[in-house]
Amino acid sequence: MSGAGDAVPVLQVRDLQAHFRTHYFGVNREVRAVDGVTFEVNRNEIYGLAGESSSGKTTLVKTIAGLLKPPLEMVGGSARFSFLPGWDAIGRAPPEVVRAIRWRHLSYIMQGSMNVLNPLRRVRYSFRDFAWRHLGGSKVEFDARVVAHMERVKLDPSVLDAYPHELSGGMRQRVTIALATICKPDFIIADEPTTALDVVVQKDVLGMIRAIQCEMGSSILFITHDMGVHAALTDRLGIMYAGRLVEDGETPEIFSRPLHPYTRHLIASLPRIGDTEQREGLDGTPPNLAAPPPGCRFHPRCPLAMPVCTTIVPAMVETLPGHRVACHAVNPGMAT
Amino acid sequence: MSALIELDRVSKSFSRGGLFSTRRVEAVKEVSFALDADKPEIFTVIGESGSGKSTLARMILGIHAPSSGQVRLGGRDVATYERRAFMAEVQPIFQNPFEAFNPLKRLDRYLFMTAERFGGATGTSAVDGSVDEALRQVGLSLPEIKGRFPHELSGGQLQRVAIARALVAKPRLIVADEPVSMIDASLRMSIVNLFGRLRDELGLSIVYITHDLATAYYISDRLIIMQQGVVVEQGPARAVLSAPTHPYSRQLRDAVLTPDSAGAFRATHSRKAAETPGARS
Ligand SMILES: Nc1ncnc2c1ncn2[C@@H]1O[C@H](COP(=O)(O)OP(=O)(O)OP(=O)(O)O)[C@@H](O)[C@H]1O
Ligand SMILES: Nc1ncnc2c1ncn2[C@@H]1O[C@H](COP(=O)(O)OP(=O)(O)O)[C@@H](O)[C@H]1O
Ligand code: SF4
Ligand SMILES: [Mg+2]
Ligand SMILES: [Mg+2]
Repeated sequence: MSGAGDAVPVLQVRDLQAHFRTHYFGVNREVRAVDGVTFEVNRNEIYGLAGESSSGKTTLVKTIAGLLKPPLEMVGGSARFSFLPGWDAIGRAPPEVVRAIRWRHLSYIMQGSMNVLNPLRRVRYSFRDFAWRHLGGSKVEFDARVVAHMERVKLDPSVLDAYPHELSGGMRQRVTIALATICKPDFIIADEPTTALDVVVQKDVLGMIRAIQCEMGSSILFITHDMGVHAALTDRLGIMYAGRLVEDGETPEIFSRPLHPYTRHLIASLPRIGDTEQREGLDGTPPNLAAPPPGCRFHPRCPLAMPVCTTIVPAMVETLPGHRVACHAVNPGMAT
Repeated sequence: MSALIELDRVSKSFSRGGLFSTRRVEAVKEVSFALDADKPEIFTVIGESGSGKSTLARMILGIHAPSSGQVRLGGRDVATYERRAFMAEVQPIFQNPFEAFNPLKRLDRYLFMTAERFGGATGTSAVDGSVDEALRQVGLSLPEIKGRFPHELSGGQLQRVAIARALVAKPRLIVADEPVSMIDASLRMSIVNLFGRLRDELGLSIVYITHDLATAYYISDRLIIMQQGVVVEQGPARAVLSAPTHPYSRQLRDAVLTPDSAGAFRATHSRKAAETPGARS
């Protein structure tokens, strides 16, 4: 098995910009949900994404996966996959190329797991529809393989005969994970895949995700709000705020040495069993991405804000080896 | 005591399966509890995925009829209520906001309709005002939401709209099925604190279904822990969570991942654990 040290990027995202352009009641609105994001995901690693609700995490991964439906547009930058040479983004490749890599090379577990399962068909047929042509074999062989895989995610094979609405949220979530991993893809995007699970099952499923990932040497881009999950599972962690990546680095390092004021808040605000004192949320509300604050987008809520923060966008700088931060207070004198 | 809501040995079973293997699933088995009308509280339900929490919620909301037992609101069987009168008293927040809203319907329509039908608001400005007020309590506003469809919001935003929609109706009881699982820790605290204020200032009771033991400890008064449709442990929230007695409750508590406890998981599951030492360049 190849080690973690040979950092081979499978995904290279450069200055990615993706906006929602809408037009309501004669008003044009441009929501800059992803605005200049740069990072890499290596082979054989789990890269975590955390950040406030509506900070653009889902939009970022949709853009990376090429799921660009109007009003979402990729406005600039690139997102290259090593298994798709010659294209600087999936969204720019022709549909037949994209079809050939879905499930086999890239699978996507969407936020709100119902989306992928056909509500009118028993679960078994969702597997046949998506995975059979990639895995091949006879129907009997394929079904046996599905049953074996269901057992790995601790699902009773009878679930295959259920309709999605008959399953609890947690069971649907596990079905979705089974579906996304059965073809052993190189790259898995998972948007809040364990939020509907109880903590016992969640821990099991995370262990399973890690085991499958190790076995296949694949890469996972993993979104969750649960910082405990990031701390346990991910190798590297990126923190998003208002459409931008504000910090990334090795996960243990981010937890032991958070540098960006938003990351520090995020880690300090985690409720723990035993809390009786009020832990306050962040003052103010998430910025409106149709009219984001100038300069550093965090400045209206930042305890360290200085005059420069209101006008100049802080550059993402490698402050420590492998640890990047975008903040004027952390990197004085660095502007974009 | 007079009960606001009362569950009297409520059970629900479903049949499931293919042509040859129909099976009965007992989703909820003989669950009883009551919330006092004069003592607003946050009543938490914790439990296994698939243990019947959502089914329980749907029975309280009158969406599923119990297979046996009875749910009573103000002493009267929920099934005998006229729907509209019931909804003015009891409001839901569903587990998955992506499924809770019709994708083709504008979100403000839901809010306006709820304000008019259940919240007692009349006239455009009163309706707008009460909708805006509810949205601001969850960190949004009417101008931000007006004219938008569900898919145009992030998961967390959509869930907050669902919470605002429940608030607009000014109910006496909210049944919230995992309302904060899609919301970051910071906003989660704001929403849980909002629940606390609704209880303390407006006298609202909340059935709070969650996997988040930390907020359950922090905000709730009483809790029950469910496994396979059965209540395995119940009592004052802090007492139960500090010293759980049922093996499943202990297992739950020990499975919580926090940045402090994550080390043990990493040690056994990390990619790096599989490597030979020094392999990293
Ligand atoms: N179809 C759309 N049209 C217009 N705006 C949209 C659309 N989809 C999302 N947005 C906006 O883009 C921003 C980012 O949304 P996104 O779903 O990427 O957030 P997120 O980080 O995944 O949040 P969460 O953690 O709550 O899921 C939000 O302001 C959202 O309202
Ligand atoms: N409409 C339905 N038809 C058949 N079975 C159902 C239905 N709804 C739930 N179930 C079953 O009932 C059990 C409990 O589900 P649910 O109440 O959603 O659990 P939870 O919310 O605790 O995760 C599960 O086994 C689920 O498959
Ligand atoms: S750049 Fe300024 S406003 Fe932004 S996080 Fe740093 S100190 Fe705060
Ligand atoms: Mg999202
Ligand atoms: Mg549920």
